[in-house]
Amino acid sequence: MMIVEFTVFSTFKFVAVKLSEVIKQQNNAAELFSVKASRARLFKEFKEVQREKVADPDIQLSCDDNNIFKWTALVKGPSETPFEGGIFQLAFAVPEQYPLQPPQVRFLTKIFHPNVHFKTGEICLDILKNAWSPAWTLQSVCRAIIALMAHPEPDSPLNCDSGNLLRSGDIRGYQSMARMYTRLAAMPKKG
Amino acid sequence: MEEYFSSDDECCYSDRDSLDGLENEDSRTHWAPSKGPASKVITKESLLAAQREDLRRVMELLSVREHHARTLLIHHRWDVEKLFAVLVEKGKSVLFMEAGVSLADQQNLGVPLPPTVMCEICIEDVLGGDATRMDCGHCFCNECWTGHFVVKINEGQSKRIKCMAHKCNAICDEAVVRNLVSKTHPDLAEKFDRFLLESYIEDNKRVNWCPSTPHCGNAIRNEDDDFCEVECSCGLQFCFSCLSEAHSPCSCLMWELWVKKCRDESETVNWITVHTKHCPKCHKPVEKNGGCNLVSCICGQAFCWLCGGATGRDHTWSSIAGHSCGRYKDDGEKKAERAKRDLFRYMHYHNRYKAHTDSFKLESKLKETIQEKVSVLEDRDSKLRDFGWVNNGLYRLFRSRRVLSYSYPFAFYMFGDELFKDEMTNKERDIKQHLFEDQQQQLEENVEKLSKFLEAPFDQYEEEKVMNVRMQVLNLSTITDKLCQKMYECIENDLLGSLQLGIHNIAPYRSKGIEKASELSVCWGNNSDKALHCGSSGRTTESDQPSGSGSSEESGISSRKRARMEGPGGAFFDLNLPADNVDRSEL
Repeated sequence: MMIVEFTVFSTFKFVAVKLSEVIKQQNNAAELFSVKASRARLFKEFKEVQREKVADPDIQLSCDDNNIFKWTALVKGPSETPFEGGIFQLAFAVPEQYPLQPPQVRFLTKIFHPNVHFKTGEICLDILKNAWSPAWTLQSVCRAIIALMAHPEPDSPLNCDSGNLLRSGDIRGYQSMARMYTRLAAMPKKG
Repeated sequence: MEEYFSSDDECCYSDRDSLDGLENEDSRTHWAPSKGPASKVITKESLLAAQREDLRRVMELLSVREHHARTLLIHHRWDVEKLFAVLVEKGKSVLFMEAGVSLADQQNLGVPLPPTVMCEICIEDVLGGDATRMDCGHCFCNECWTGHFVVKINEGQSKRIKCMAHKCNAICDEAVVRNLVSKTHPDLAEKFDRFLLESYIEDNKRVNWCPSTPHCGNAIRNEDDDFCEVECSCGLQFCFSCLSEAHSPCSCLMWELWVKKCRDESETVNWITVHTKHCPKCHKPVEKNGGCNLVSCICGQAFCWLCGGATGRDHTWSSIAGHSCGRYKDDGEKKAERAKRDLFRYMHYHNRYKAHTDSFKLESKLKETIQEKVSVLEDRDSKLRDFGWVNNGLYRLFRSRRVLSYSYPFAFYMFGDELFKDEMTNKERDIKQHLFEDQQQQLEENVEKLSKFLEAPFDQYEEEKVMNVRMQVLNLSTITDKLCQKMYECIENDLLGSLQLGIHNIAPYRSKGIEKASELSVCWGNNSDKALHCGSSGRTTESDQPSGSGSSEESGISSRKRARMEGPGGAFFDLNLPADNVDRSEL
C-alpha cells in the first residue's frame, strides 16, 4: 500500500534499488549461512574439546577469545622420537567454509622435520590439502600432525636438509639435529 | 554452394559414363568408401545420446545403474574395452573399488533412516528426512552435503565428488548431487551436469573438440582409425590426431616441425620468396594472380612459377615435357656451406609448398568464374546438357593441389637429415627420393594440365571443342585422382612403412576429399536434459533404439543439405540451432 503513494518515477527507482538489494541479500545469505554453519560447528568442537581435555593429555586446543576462527594448540612431541619432551605450538586459521574446506595449520615453534617448512612452519600433509574430509575435526588434525612427527615422509620434503638426511640413511644425523632444535625451541628454558 | 554439392552427385554419374571408355575402371572399387562416414559430429544436443551406447554396454554387462556406469567409464577414460579387461583381470570388486563405485549393501539400503540422525559434519541432530545416505552407507545431513557439493563443483571436481567421510573413496550419486544442489544453486547444478556430460569429450581418446575459433560447440567422434582427417559440420577440416589443419601426406610430427620452421624464418625472406618471383628476362618482381604455374611477365616472357626458369618452346600450354623443376638438385659438388645449402633446400620446398597453397587460395575465385562459364554454356542450346564434369574437374583440381602442396613439406623431412638420418643409407634415400619425386612430378604435370583446361575460356568454344575439353578434364580428373592415390600408397608402404624407429602415420587418401562427419542421430535429443534428470529408471528401454545406421544416415543427409544451404560465407555459423529444428521436424 505504501508503494501506491510513490510517484511513477520514484516507484521505478524504488524497484531498481529493491532488486539490487535482493541480489545482495541472496549472496549474503549464502555466505552468512556457511559462516553460521561453520561457527556452529566450531562451537560444538570447542565444547567437545573442553570435555576431552582430560582424555587426551598430548593435545591442548584453545580458541582465541575474540575470534572463533583462530585457534592454537599445544602438542607434545611423541615419545621415542627426537621431538620427545618438546611442546610445540600450532596455529590454526579456519576458513569460513569450514568444515568443507580444511583449516590452515602451521607450527609456531621451530621444528626440524622434513615435512615442515623450517622458516614459516607450513606443514605438508595430505589431509590438509586434497585428502581433506569434512569429517575431520581440529582435534583429529592435531592427532594427524603428531603422527606425522613420528612418521616423517622424506619423499615430499618442505625442509630439504632434513629430508636429505633421512633419504641418505643418516638417521643419526637427522635425530641429533631434530633433537637439538627440540631442545632449543620446544623445551622450557631451565632457570 | 548448394549447386556445388548437388553437382557432386551428378558428377558421379557423368564420371561413371566416361569411365566406360577408360581403362581404369577398377580403380573406383577399391578406394571408394563403402560405408558411411566413420566420424560423427556431436553437438550439445546429441552429447548424451553419444554416450548412451557406451553406458548401455557397461550397464548391461555389470548390471549397474547408469550413474555407476558413468563413474566407471569416467575412471577408465571412456575406454570400454579397457574397462572390460580390468573386469576380467582383477574382478568386479576391484574394478568397482578402484573407480569409487560402492554397490550398496542390500541390508543397509533396505533399512530406513532412523527418525533423527546425528550428522558428523555439523554435529547436529537432524530429522531423518533431512539427511541422505549415499550408496557407500555414509549418512550426513542435506545441508552439509549441499555445502560439500558446492565447494567441489566450484573447485572443478564435478567428475569425482567423493563422499565426505574420512577415507571413503566412493563417488557420490550424481542424482543426489543434482537434486540437492539445484535446490539452492540451480546454476551450479547446471554446471555439474555439463561437466559430467563433457567428460565424454574431455577424457575420451576417441572424441575431440572441433578446434574452430570461435568455437562451434561441436565435438567429433572418430569410430575407425586414429589417423584420419575430418570435417566438422561447421565446415572446418582438421587432422583428428593433432587438431591442426588437415595436412596429409605429412605426418603430424612433420607438420608440427614445418609450421614451426615456417614461422621462424624471417618475415622479409618469407615475403620476398613467397609473394614474388623475378622475371628471368626483365628481373622485375612478378606476383602471381591466377591458379596455373605457367606465368607470363608483363614483358611477355613466360616462366615457370615454381622454379622461376624461363620457359619457351619446351614449356608451353599444351606440353610441359621435360619440366622437372620439382626435383631437388643437391649441389654437393660445389661443397657450398652447409647452412647455406640447408636454407636453399628449405626455400626450395617452401616455395613449392607455398606456390600450391597460394593457387589453392585462389580457388574460390576460380569457382566463380567457372560457374559463370557454365551458366553461359547452359544458356546455349546444345546437346551437351550435363556440366557436372566441370565441377568434378574443379574439385579434383583443388583436392590434388592440396595433396601436392603438403607433399613438399613431407619430402623436406622425409629426405632431410632432421628426422630419418639414421634410418636410411644415402643410397636408399636416393632411391626413395627418386621414386617419390617421379610420382610427385607426374602428379604435378597432370594437375597443371587440368588447371589449364579448366581455366580455358571454353564457354566461347565451338561445341565440338567443348566436348574435347570435357573429355580432357574427365580424363585428367581420373588420372590425378589415381596418381594421388598412388602417391599416398607409396608414402604409406614404401617410405614411412619401412622405417624402423620413427612413428609416423598419415591419414589415408580419400579421393572424395576429407570426410564430412555425419551428425549423430538424436532420437529424443531435445529432452536429453530431462532424461538425465529423471535418473536411470526406464533408460535402458530407450537406449535399445539403434544409434547408428538408418536414422543417422537420414540426419546426416539433412545436416549436409542444411550446411550447404547456409551459403559460402558462413564458415562459422552455429549449427546447433538449426540442428535442433531439423531433428524436431524429423520426430
